[in-house]
Amino acid sequence: MNCQRVQDHFIDYQDGTLAAEDSAALRAHLASCPTCQREWSALQEITRKLEALPAAEEPSPRLREQFYAMLETHQREADSVSPFALARSRLDRFFAALLPSTPALQFAGALAALAVGVFTGARYLTPPPSAAAPVAVVDQAAQQKIADLEAQVKDMGSLVAASLLQQKSTSERITTMLATMDLKSPDRRVLTDVVSALALDPSVNVRLAAVEALTDHADQAVVRQGLLAALTRETAPLVQVAIIELLADVREFDAAPLFERLSRDEATDQNVRDSARRGLAVLRTPSPTDPLKNNNPSNPAPAVS
Amino acid sequence: MFLASVTEFRVSSVASPVSLPVTVDADSDHELMIAVRAGEIRRLGELFERYHKPLYGFFVRLTNQPSASEDLVQIVFYRILKYRHTYRDEGKFSAWIYHLARKVAADHFRKHARTPTPADPTDFHDQPDQDPAPDTQAGTADDLALMRRALARVSHEHREVLVLARLQHLNHQEIARLLDCSVGAVKVRAHRALKELREVYFKIRKEQAA
Repeated sequence: MNCQRVQDHFIDYQDGTLAAEDSAALRAHLASCPTCQREWSALQEITRKLEALPAAEEPSPRLREQFYAMLETHQREADSVSPFALARSRLDRFFAALLPSTPALQFAGALAALAVGVFTGARYLTPPPSAAAPVAVVDQAAQQKIADLEAQVKDMGSLVAASLLQQKSTSERITTMLATMDLKSPDRRVLTDVVSALALDPSVNVRLAAVEALTDHADQAVVRQGLLAALTRETAPLVQVAIIELLADVREFDAAPLFERLSRDEATDQNVRDSARRGLAVLRTPSPTDPLKNNNPSNPAPAVS
Repeated sequence: MFLASVTEFRVSSVASPVSLPVTVDADSDHELMIAVRAGEIRRLGELFERYHKPLYGFFVRLTNQPSASEDLVQIVFYRILKYRHTYRDEGKFSAWIYHLARKVAADHFRKHARTPTPADPTDFHDQPDQDPAPDTQAGTADDLALMRRALARVSHEHREVLVLARLQHLNHQEIARLLDCSVGAVKVRAHRALKELREVYFKIRKEQAA
């Protein structure tokens, strides 16, 4: 064991916690090493002096007094129940005394309270009968309003259709035409729009679609007049043929002079002339299958009379 | 290593009247503290009777301020009450109370480090009221006064180890747990502390002789 190691063990040796063989080795070293002897005795001396130090003077009585005062305060705080908890326990006791304790009675009580509540609600919360009349009045007013709104919407739909015819592209105008065919009973304004499209639209296809759209409504005077007017101005053979066939179909006898002129006009398309000739033939032979078609008072059939 | 040496205070070979009571019953301490934790606040009185003097000694040796030490003891017991619910079942009461005491002392030193009051313990020997009266400056009394002053001048870290080990008679395992370091580190520190104490002691003696 060297000096450093011996001195490292001093504290344990002093405490008596050094292992037996280490203690023996340490003692053996001490016996032969004056340096370590001096060091050891110095350590022992200072330790002895330190431990001889009397414990500090007694604390003053103030410490004990203060401590027990604090202890009493804390004990009282721990003992005393907070006023809130006290009030709550009193409330609990009050309600416990007030309410039935057996579950069956509690259930019955709850049911009774529910029944009373439902009865009271039914008795006092029904709306007074006098309120019915104003409601009806309001209903009428509302219905009137709804009717007005519906009319407005309808007008707006027509306007939209008209504006579409004037502004949109060819394909959109055709779409609008075809859409008017779906209308069971388009109003006069829509029909006028379609007729003017037939007369004025630059596109052959739109004009053809317009003829088609008017097919179901050719019993109306405005349509027939429109068709006649359009035929006099029409230059495209396809549209001319379509108009001629439609007018022949609906037996528009006012078209006969026009058909005759077209069929003789050398400048018109051969197909148009053939179609006009066929139309003339149709108009001149009264249809046996459909005699009622001439019942239109605005177009008294001369053939019948 | 005996298990007892880990869990019990080492009984000092040198009789020291105000060190921990020789007959300390650790179980009893523990049971008392459990009772206090459970709400029997007054049982803390018994623990106070057992521990207030050792704690006072600890603080006086550490701070050299008797009046302040009384306050510090009071603070320790106040904290025991305040934090009694944190006391663990497996915990050893003496370890716990010294743990609290160290923290209280640390707070005290921190507070005094901020204030301009003479807090440096090395200045302590210049305070006349702590100097031994001239008629007692002879023989053993002189020696004790010298030692008291020497201890006051030792660095705080070393003084703490010396007080805990030599005056409060905690064993190295307990000190290691308190200081949160290894037992070996405590022994090294204890050895160095004794060396420093000896140097300071002889330096003061030389000064006095001069």
